[in-house]
Amino acid sequence: MKNYLQLVNFEFNRIAKLFTVLLGITFVAQMIGVVVQSRSYLNMANEKMYKEMMPQAEFLENFGQMSFLQIARSSWFFGPIALCIAGVAFYIFFIWYRDWIGKNTFIYRLLMLPTSRLNIFFAKITTILIMTFGFVAVQLIIIPIEMLVMKAMVPDEFRLDMGVVEVLTTMPELTLIYPSSIMQFIFHYGLGLLAVSILFTGILFERSFKWKGIFAGLLYGGIAVIVLILPLLLHEFVLNSYFYPIELFVLEIVMGLIVFAASIWVSGFLLKNKVTV
Amino acid sequence: MIEVKGVEKRYGLKKILKGVSFTANKGEITCLIGINGVGKTTILKAIMALTPFQKGQILIDGKPIDKHSFEKITFIPDSLTMLPNMTINEAMEFMKDFYTCWNQKRANELLGFFRLDPSNRISSLSKGNTAKVNLLLGLALDVDYVLMDEPFSGIDLFSREEIANVFTSHLIENRGVIITTHEIGDIEHLLDKVVLLDDGLVTKEFSAEEAREKEGKSVIDVMREVYQK
Repeated sequence: MKNYLQLVNFEFNRIAKLFTVLLGITFVAQMIGVVVQSRSYLNMANEKMYKEMMPQAEFLENFGQMSFLQIARSSWFFGPIALCIAGVAFYIFFIWYRDWIGKNTFIYRLLMLPTSRLNIFFAKITTILIMTFGFVAVQLIIIPIEMLVMKAMVPDEFRLDMGVVEVLTTMPELTLIYPSSIMQFIFHYGLGLLAVSILFTGILFERSFKWKGIFAGLLYGGIAVIVLILPLLLHEFVLNSYFYPIELFVLEIVMGLIVFAASIWVSGFLLKNKVTV
Repeated sequence: MIEVKGVEKRYGLKKILKGVSFTANKGEITCLIGINGVGKTTILKAIMALTPFQKGQILIDGKPIDKHSFEKITFIPDSLTMLPNMTINEAMEFMKDFYTCWNQKRANELLGFFRLDPSNRISSLSKGNTAKVNLLLGLALDVDYVLMDEPFSGIDLFSREEIANVFTSHLIENRGVIITTHEIGDIEHLLDKVVLLDDGLVTKEFSAEEAREKEGKSVIDVMREVYQK
């Protein structure tokens, strides 16, 4: 356990710079988005009301008040989120390959540590989780700050104030990242964790058997997906909608746990017996 | 004792090791000699479970390698096993965190021996000094066995001498060492045992001292006999 925690700490320190840079980009870009969107709304209001002499009531009736949704729907807001998602996706592969590639042969050291090699797998997957939840948490902290900036820029009568939860639940894109129920949370993030574990196993197949390993990894991924959706396939095509939704949900969780356990076991086996440096 | 018994290893269709067997004792320096591509590094990696093999068995003090073995045996490859952006100090901290057999006193001694500055970043070191850091990280572990892969490869004369001096010092005493090298001249007089490899097989395993005393032959003489016949 001590070695696992030390490895997690070590792995996280290795991504700390990239993590901080991505958080910085998110904060700055979204803040620029708040200012740009607010100013654009205010400019439009000025144009209509002072140049075209449109009464305030008529302007509000025609163009509506400004809400945070206008900011949240802009690419200033979504761009950095997409960048962070791409960063995590890239890092899922990079977290393994950087230890092998080029002059850096740190994998020698990792594999020669007097600890279970599975700890390397767990430390890397934990780092990906920390990174993901780190982004999610910081985004939650940033939104109220952005709301305050918008409040400071847009006068009360032109503004429709919304709570953070209201914004998150109104936008379907954001409900993927911030699920509204615990069930959805388990489903979204459980599925994400499962996908990472399958990808890690695929990477270890490739690191163990090179070209043949790519096919083995793809085959493993395919089998994992089939096992995972087996209850859905049976429910839909064989059993004529036999299960209640809750039964199907529980079955999916069981299948997910089976695939996750299989990924850990196969990865452990590959790291112990097959991986090559 | 390290026992390598009938190890066979294949890369794709090519058989690199065709049943390699030899032993290396504690307190002795065993040298694996053979031309490039004969599988010397592969043998060291196989001993450390860094590459799988298809047939055979490798035992360390009678047991197959497991996670606890890494407190007993270490491998010093010819490439850097630490992150280049670490300082030597940070690399030593890393080793201290993970290995209970890390000996800081010996690490400090090695720093002095190799005249290394612990605040230096590894990426800024010359090839010779990088090899010395690698040796430091391996030799500062209180392990029974040390495997070294080409410790003299591509290193200037003076660094080679410094590294060769390690073999006559107490830093190696009582340990079992397996070394692969092309620069046989640097350490020939220090070798206890020589394992000659050719075409994936051990062609001769002999005691260097016996060859010197009984037959009056140096290691290089025996190598000539074996490789040039």
